[in-house]
Amino acid sequence: MTDEEEMVGYKQQPGKLPFSRPGSGGKDQFSTLQDDEMIPKSQGGKLSQPWGTHRHDELVTSTSIGNRTPLIDGRYKVTGQAKYGDDIRLSNELIGKILRSPHHFARIKSIDTSAAEALDGVVAIATGVDASNAFGVLPVTKDEHALAISLVRHVGDLVAAVAAEDESTALHALQLIEVEYEVLDSIHDMKDGLEDSENPIHDRGKYHIGEANIQKRVFQEFGEVEKMTENAEASHHSNWTFRGVNHGFTEPHATVANWDPRGRLTVYTPQQVPHYLHRSLADVLEIPMHQINVYRTFVGGGFGGKSDPFPHEMCAAILARKSGRPVRITFDREEVFFVNRGRHPSHIEMNLHADSQGRLCGVETDALIDGGAFASFGHVTTYYNGVLHTAPYEIGAFHYTGARVWTNKPASGAMRGHGAVNSRCAFEVGLDDLSNKLQVDPMTFRLANLLPPLSATITGFRITSTGMRECLEKVRKASDWDERFRKLPLGHGIGVGCGFFISGSGLPIHWDPNKFPHATVHLKIDMDGGVTIHTGAADIGQGSDTVVAQSVAEVLGLPLDMIRVRSQESDTAPVDLGSYSSRVTFMNANAAISAAMKIRQELLDATAVITGADPKKLVLGDRRIYDKRDPAVGVSYLEALHKAQEERGALVASGAYRTPPMGRAHKGAAAGLAPAYSFSAYVAEVKVDVETGQTSVINVWAAHDCGKALNPLAVEGQIIGSCHMGLGQVLSEEMVYGRTGHLLNGNLLDYKIPTVHEMPKVYPIIVESNDPEGPFGAKEAGEGPLLPILPAVCNAVFDAIGVRVNELPITPDRMHRNIEKLCREQGISDPLELETPRLKLSPLQESLANRAEEHEKRDIARRNNDDIEPYHNGALFGFTATMPADEQSDDWKVSVIPSQEYIDNPRLAGSAWKHTERRHRGDDA
Amino acid sequence: MSKKNRIPMLPQVGKREWVASVNEKKVTESISSDSILLDVLRDQIGMLGVKRGCDMGTCGCCAVLVDGEPRLSCLTLTSEVEGCEITTVEGIADGHHLSPIQETFTTYGGSQCGFCSPGFLIVITALLEENDNPSDSEIKTAIEGNLCRCTGYQPIIESIQAAAEILRSGKSTSNPTSPHSDPHPGFMGDDA
Repeated sequence: MTDEEEMVGYKQQPGKLPFSRPGSGGKDQFSTLQDDEMIPKSQGGKLSQPWGTHRHDELVTSTSIGNRTPLIDGRYKVTGQAKYGDDIRLSNELIGKILRSPHHFARIKSIDTSAAEALDGVVAIATGVDASNAFGVLPVTKDEHALAISLVRHVGDLVAAVAAEDESTALHALQLIEVEYEVLDSIHDMKDGLEDSENPIHDRGKYHIGEANIQKRVFQEFGEVEKMTENAEASHHSNWTFRGVNHGFTEPHATVANWDPRGRLTVYTPQQVPHYLHRSLADVLEIPMHQINVYRTFVGGGFGGKSDPFPHEMCAAILARKSGRPVRITFDREEVFFVNRGRHPSHIEMNLHADSQGRLCGVETDALIDGGAFASFGHVTTYYNGVLHTAPYEIGAFHYTGARVWTNKPASGAMRGHGAVNSRCAFEVGLDDLSNKLQVDPMTFRLANLLPPLSATITGFRITSTGMRECLEKVRKASDWDERFRKLPLGHGIGVGCGFFISGSGLPIHWDPNKFPHATVHLKIDMDGGVTIHTGAADIGQGSDTVVAQSVAEVLGLPLDMIRVRSQESDTAPVDLGSYSSRVTFMNANAAISAAMKIRQELLDATAVITGADPKKLVLGDRRIYDKRDPAVGVSYLEALHKAQEERGALVASGAYRTPPMGRAHKGAAAGLAPAYSFSAYVAEVKVDVETGQTSVINVWAAHDCGKALNPLAVEGQIIGSCHMGLGQVLSEEMVYGRTGHLLNGNLLDYKIPTVHEMPKVYPIIVESNDPEGPFGAKEAGEGPLLPILPAVCNAVFDAIGVRVNELPITPDRMHRNIEKLCREQGISDPLELETPRLKLSPLQESLANRAEEHEKRDIARRNNDDIEPYHNGALFGFTATMPADEQSDDWKVSVIPSQEYIDNPRLAGSAWKHTERRHRGDDA
Repeated sequence: MSKKNRIPMLPQVGKREWVASVNEKKVTESISSDSILLDVLRDQIGMLGVKRGCDMGTCGCCAVLVDGEPRLSCLTLTSEVEGCEITTVEGIADGHHLSPIQETFTTYGGSQCGFCSPGFLIVITALLEENDNPSDSEIKTAIEGNLCRCTGYQPIIESIQAAAEILRSGKSTSNPTSPHSDPHPGFMGDDA
């Protein structure tokens, strides 16, 4: 028998790689892949974690984690085999189309569908009466319907839906539907939303705030609020205007609904959070959840824009139920803008105060955000605009007032960097201004005010690991900051910005009292040895399938090719809360690791039975399980597996992750809580043409602390991609509403997404702080990297020409107006004669540098667990670090209700507190 | 089924037979004179790899090769390309052998959500066909009509450079299947 014949059956097609039969021996006894440098000491290798040990260290097999891993579904995407929403084609399908409101705000008096119904080829028509139950992504603010019940609330709101044999018939039928409207006064300016109105856009019953269009208001005061202005050596004040921004994902929404012969509904849809859609479908269609299968197709970009349950998904299901046939609804690009859920247009007032020692003694933020017609995630967004800039710096006082109002525009919602982006921009630009006023280097100013690892912020967030200092130092070095900051010629500048973002939210949106886990992963290994992972985590292109496969591969010491991920269907996947708030890697990989650990233990036990070795001394590595002190003692993975399966068949295991109890007790304390936080620091280099106002970004040095890069390829992709999206917002993207309140640029021609020519060179720098609770130390990398790019560019623009922008995007016309204004102020006619800002350092610089150095030692000691005392925000201001400052002094306020004094003289968003909730007015009425 | 009540939205157009080669296969379709190539490719021929992103020629997702030249199929009348050789993303690979750019797109992270990838791959294929050593500015010019929201373009540019390198050197990339996916460990009998 020749070698070739013998190997038949063990050859792999199509690669035709020769394999020997198992048990045939061989000269290369152990894995050639193993690299001592990548294996931790506990496994006999040399790997030392960046900062101390991690509880997952002993699971590291050097198989997968930390390797640049192409996405496991990448080849589907490059061959055209990936099926997105509109690529799901079921036989006998109907095409669904939606009739949309032509009015901003109107009451529907009647809908006549008879002419449309009579049209040949029209199979089903749905209107609001077919599904009157409200839904919404947050259970506290369910204010959407599949189709308008009585009010249409923005141009493009859904009025009726038609299912027909083909698209042109469906479009024709829409024209035949006669709707009689009574047009109401619409609201477009978010400031008007704060005032009482005759017809509020929504009625929240007894919880309605006044008669106004205020959807949510927040007041928070922490720290020595009274003292912050009197202690201030320098203060910053600015009023920002941010425009609405759309996600701009390339795949328009599309969905297919089908009721199968058993009466079960399958909805195929590109969703980031299939589970919330699952719940909403059950509510709207009034059927139990177990009768619904939500099938997540490939998602052509999400960024938060596919994370609400959407009315058109309900419509498809309703039409399919009425017609008894599959219904496919695909949006055109304008409809995508009608659904929107993009970043909130905002007015933000930022006041910052620094004292004589260069400490940040006061932060006062006031954010009015324009929610559009529906609540969406707005409840949370309103909090995030304030609470997500309470770190990474230690602050003496924090005052936040926020309000979200309804207006007659497409709804705003969650978008990458949810709620934190705009206020972070205002905050970081404020810090730049403060350090300018104090005549210190903004890098040093930041480095001297950082919270240490294992500390609590002023609002009680628990910071476990922080790589902020390393991020700042790395970009400082990489960008040659010390040689260039305030030293470049006119029109050329560099600026720094930082970011801080949650890595998963502490509480699930549907707060179940029975403590459901946030993420669950099931593993199944049958006799073939391949591992099937069942997870509900939605891969939206960020590579969550890949990272969960990597985690399992790492623990079991298997190559990635042996892992297959089934994450599409709610029928087979355990519940995962979805791809939002940067939670997937942290929570889902943690769940996967705990499931894999159970399988690992079973394999070790089986090996111990075969070899008689002590299971505690056994390790896994590259498809072999062996004694780490005597590697010759061991069995192949498959032998161990088959032994373990003898009595019970396939190995199955379930693992779950739930956040630990965290946070303080005040109202709203849960908003912004996360099991870990990511940190980032960017330096941007810009050129501004002082004559035309054209701003272009040339280089970005982007350092991001993601805890541990499980897949550096994906992390870098997220960093560069975040820069692209942030650059869009800072330079060119805005949703423009005209005088009549209509969206003027609901297409990709007028909505300016940066092309390859606008992209600067981005140098991604990964910082690993090894989070104690993250999977193998990892934290998020999807949203946090977006935050610093906006302020970094704004600060670089100031460095270039001395203009403090306070309106985004920085289009050439806005920039030109700013330059003209600056010229007028300085009495110069030619902008080329403008003076570029220079920095003369004050004596404070040296003391800040010294403090930064001391703090660095403090941080290292805390990271290495040499110092394990608690650290609460306030220690920098003379309080004892080991307990919250409010327990030490009566001056340290913790308040979530404004005083009468404040209400009498509020800021813009704060004026929302002038109204009384209806339920509190009962006695007067 | 009676169709007498049907009222045309557009001026009545007749259907006729249309012949072309799609991914090296001759196809005959019944098309109307106003039909758009994108619709015919997706809905009639079933090439669902061609993506619809914006319908107005701004995103580049629908790009296909017409006689080797990249063209936006959402702006192309089907009858314009009668008799032409049309290549979609499904036609770039040779069986299960990926073209260099398809392989480097995955290994260099040129594709994240993947929706824009078919369009990019088409224009890059046309670029590399002409020029296996494109400069940075040539690369940027080639892909300027394509929007990608995930990657920030940088990994795409790196993929193109790597693919060009493969084309120049004639060396293929990694093996399609890793030998380490054999569940039987550590017994490599002879050198592969």
